[in-house]
Amino acid sequence: MTGSIATNATAWAKENLFRNWRDAVLTVVFGLILAFLTIRVLSFVLGSDWEIQRVNMRNSLVGPEISGTDLWGPVIGIWLGAAAVGVLIGAMDRAQHVDDPGAMLDPLNPAHWPQLAARTLDRLWPLLALVAFSLLLTTSAAGLLVAIATLALGFLGRAVGMRLPLGSLRWAALAAGLAPLVAVLIIRYGFGIDWKDWGGFLLVAFAGAAGIALSFPLGILLALGRRSKLPAIKALSVAYIEFFRGVPLVVLLLIGSLVIGLFLPRSLIPSEAIRAVIIFTLFTAAYFAEVIRGGLQSLPAGQEEAAKALGLPGWRITTFIVMPQALRNVIPAIVGQSISLWKDTSLMFIIGLAEPLRLASAFTRQPEFRGQGLITLTLFFAGLIYWVVSFTMSRESQRLERKLGVGQR
Amino acid sequence: MTTEPAGGGLRDATVTRGAGGVMIDMEHVDKFFGDFQALKNINMKVGKQEVVVVIGPSGSGKSTLIRCINRLEEHDAGRIIVDGVELSSDIKVIREVRRETGMVFQQFNLFPHLTVLDNITLAPRQVRKTRRAEAEKLGRELLERVQIPEQAEKYPAQLSGGQQQRVAIARALAMQPKVMLFDEATSALDPEMINEVLEVMKELALSGMTMIVVTHEMGFAREVADRVVFMDAGQIVEVGTAEHFFTSPREDRTKLFLSQIL
Repeated sequence: MTGSIATNATAWAKENLFRNWRDAVLTVVFGLILAFLTIRVLSFVLGSDWEIQRVNMRNSLVGPEISGTDLWGPVIGIWLGAAAVGVLIGAMDRAQHVDDPGAMLDPLNPAHWPQLAARTLDRLWPLLALVAFSLLLTTSAAGLLVAIATLALGFLGRAVGMRLPLGSLRWAALAAGLAPLVAVLIIRYGFGIDWKDWGGFLLVAFAGAAGIALSFPLGILLALGRRSKLPAIKALSVAYIEFFRGVPLVVLLLIGSLVIGLFLPRSLIPSEAIRAVIIFTLFTAAYFAEVIRGGLQSLPAGQEEAAKALGLPGWRITTFIVMPQALRNVIPAIVGQSISLWKDTSLMFIIGLAEPLRLASAFTRQPEFRGQGLITLTLFFAGLIYWVVSFTMSRESQRLERKLGVGQR
Repeated sequence: MTTEPAGGGLRDATVTRGAGGVMIDMEHVDKFFGDFQALKNINMKVGKQEVVVVIGPSGSGKSTLIRCINRLEEHDAGRIIVDGVELSSDIKVIREVRRETGMVFQQFNLFPHLTVLDNITLAPRQVRKTRRAEAEKLGRELLERVQIPEQAEKYPAQLSGGQQQRVAIARALAMQPKVMLFDEATSALDPEMINEVLEVMKELALSGMTMIVVTHEMGFAREVADRVVFMDAGQIVEVGTAEHFFTSPREDRTKLFLSQIL
């Protein structure tokens, strides 16, 4: 067995890496560069003293103001999300195996565990690696328990999802969509944690998710508005899009806080974090609008004509025929814009919020770490989390594309 | 049905077959695209259950003619009356006419993101408010009728061109229209697939459907057309039976065109 695998590997290497002397040189050169970089990164990660990140792990994740029993808020939020996503995946699995329910992987059946573990690793390895790295740093039993419970809830959700009746898929999707909202409400009102106390990745995850969720529908409306036959709506949409695309986000964040503060009575001014979410939403909607307009223009005119010829009213043509195809065509650009917004949440630095970069720099001013040049470590960790989330979004979008591409065009 | 070739006035394609009366009435219809006049003073009546084949060179206005009937193009002058309803810019009137008028396109224009069955049931469910189960029963019956019942769950891209066009016909029929418009329905098909679509169209014609068919298939015209209309440069040049066109076309333009395609 091993022999044949080894022979296959040799054959593969010969075919793909050393086909001729030029390929061989390139392989060796790039292999050396890759090895060099890997060693450098590993020696940085393994050779550094991560004490600063170890003691500040909780600060990095939820900010310095959330502690004690309040920590249950974010934890319950994560559990809720994991369970809801699990249910959704289970329901999707069920819908995919209508004819052959036996092919579904059941988390309650230990015989399926190896396959489930392999699939989960394949799909979520960046996230799991990050969690493992953090747990190794902190060696915190509580953290380990929370992580294990999160995974368990995800699998439990999947077991429930695959047992739901067919046709529950849309409800499962709705639940997964609403779970983050419920989580936010639990943290904010259930645990009474004021917006100004949200920090770290809790803060930017909230801002990013809310920004994407709100700007997407607004972007759709603006894209349709820009194509409207009514001059007033069209002009308004164009003006909106061109304004928000033309002004740097940093300026908008600064002005936004100022402007909203000038025009609203003091009691109605939302807190800094909410103001930032509003600005992110308004800004990203302008970009979404243009991306979606591109998708609309990519559709052949025949699609709309065929729908019209059937007597469908205009908004139903948009809902059932035009928009689904237009959005599918621009998934890569939509995801790119979402990732862009996700990374831009670090700009909340500028309006004084306790987002990860501000915290990363604040840790290095703590008495025991001051003046030791440790900011590379704290920034590395903050950047790592941003990257893992972006990378996961990117991979999931590719899955989605493959799925929606099946048998279509 | 007036197919009488004698006399000068064949430019008015007047009626009709049976006692059913007029289904489509076009009077003095003009259509412009910018400065270009695509239709010039079109007068045409189509009787209930009549099958009219429209032929003519490329750019002669054939497609524009039938696209005006369901208002995919807006005519600039004259009147178009479909089953007693005169087309106006009132969207309710337009939708009423479109509900009664099925159209089949050269490029099929199936909805690629929906299954075959969903392509067919979408309009009955959304426009006629037919319940899902009922719409799907109708959809499967129609697929039976166009002889591809086994393709219901597939996506359009998984079908051959001929199958796709038959789905498109079924989709149009699902609204139970009173008129069917065919806009070069076989022109984009590979030669070996043309017949399977023409067979479905013939069956439809024999079932008594009122049809206007833009096509170059003279064999089809000969078999099922009650009348053939020859158009050139936005005008109706000559009207007659298919036989008339094969044996004794009168106008020089008609003769020239027929010599090119036959």
